[in-house]
Amino acid sequence: MALPLFDVASDPGPSFASLLAKLNIAVQLPGVTNDPVHATTVVALRCDAGVVLVADRQATAAAIAARDMRKIAEADRHTAIAISGTAAAGMEFIRISQLSFEHYEKMMDETLSLEGKSNYLSSLIQQVNMSTPFTVLPLVAGYDVNHNRGRVFEYDVAGGCYEKDDFGVIGSGTPFAESALRLGYRDNMTLDECIELGALAIYEAGDNDPYTGGPDFVRGIFPIIVTVTANGFVEVDEAATRTIFETINNRRTASKGRAGGDLR
Amino acid sequence: MTMPFYVTPEQQMKDRAEYAQKGIARGRTLIASIYDCGVLFIAENPSASLNKISEIYDRIAFAGVGKYNEFHELRTAGVRWADSTGFSYSREDVDARSLANVYAQYLGASFTDGGKPLEVEILVAQLGIRNKPTKIYHVAFEGTITDEERFAILGGDSETVRSRFLAEGEDVVSLATTLQRAVRALSGPDRTIPVSDLEVARLEDLGSRRTFSRLSDDDVAQLLA
Repeated sequence: MALPLFDVASDPGPSFASLLAKLNIAVQLPGVTNDPVHATTVVALRCDAGVVLVADRQATAAAIAARDMRKIAEADRHTAIAISGTAAAGMEFIRISQLSFEHYEKMMDETLSLEGKSNYLSSLIQQVNMSTPFTVLPLVAGYDVNHNRGRVFEYDVAGGCYEKDDFGVIGSGTPFAESALRLGYRDNMTLDECIELGALAIYEAGDNDPYTGGPDFVRGIFPIIVTVTANGFVEVDEAATRTIFETINNRRTASKGRAGGDLR
Repeated sequence: MTMPFYVTPEQQMKDRAEYAQKGIARGRTLIASIYDCGVLFIAENPSASLNKISEIYDRIAFAGVGKYNEFHELRTAGVRWADSTGFSYSREDVDARSLANVYAQYLGASFTDGGKPLEVEILVAQLGIRNKPTKIYHVAFEGTITDEERFAILGGDSETVRSRFLAEGEDVVSLATTLQRAVRALSGPDRTIPVSDLEVARLEDLGSRRTFSRLSDDDVAQLLA
């Protein structure tokens, strides 16, 4: 490819999506006729130090298509993007978002604000969801370095962006995960409390929703837990994640599957 | 109808080269040097926001001297080239040599075309990984591309600075020593450059995908101490 130079009137600016359009590099996914694969439940919680995200690992078509999907990605140092909906569209969406933020940063020599990122994604969702029959819905959560707090943004299929002051949930297991969060969420929770509650919400979704995978002790595959604080995006390591889910699972075994009482 | 004066092709090229060289010589000097863990860039630049050194990709950096608006245009084109190539293929396929070649192609074409020759000199550096070596490519205003051995010097007064930098030693040393040598070479025996007038950046593998980072005035002062 030759050097992409544009004259002043047709310069695409720092937007990566506009650049791809100018260069005629296709972003839209072609129409596919067989069953789309669906990716499933993700929660994001705000806490005093930032945000916590937890996501299951299962992708479902007619049967389970993948048990080890990673649905939370580091969009940049202080931003996490999670996806639900069609897996192919979702993965492409994550790739374009990551590149867009990095591209903006390199072009402008300045990072995009968290609100700037969430607004930019609105039009991207619109573009993806209007151009293919496969919808994708992201959840954006991050630490806003300009305002020193964690923030969570939810979207609708048309690209509407809604900021949540407590928690956000996406995917087919939403009713179950959201119920757990609504009963357990309080103001000023610590990071560890949010990790525990988020894990419990995904456990509930995995337990009730056929399209959400719970902890898989047989294969050693556990939901992904991520924290984003002033120190950036950090994934909780596998041993710690296993312990968190083992604890929930042991309690649930002791209560013979009943989730009542003190909830845990 | 009036006849235009005849100018020989040799004279024409000479005039254009002289014009570009004059423009570049007005600017200050920039040094890029390989050190034991990466590549260091250092430029005398009183502006803290109009940068001469910047990030192109995960392991590639760009530096330019001469007319700011001209090398800035080359820089943004490079970022666009790298990001769209990486998007179409894979991140590993974005390579400094290919980028240096497209720059050379463009600079060469604009030098021979009718328009004003670009008054810039640029560098594309790559931090090595596995099968790719650490490299510094130097592209001159007329498109000549040079694969520099250990370091490259751009801008006005580059010959003097080159001999001073060579006299400092020809071995590959630590970041701090390389920086100290480069600052001495830039400033010369009769003056000192304040830290706030230095723009310093590096390519070094510090554990994340992106390897480019800028050094703040405090970092630089500490390394020079």
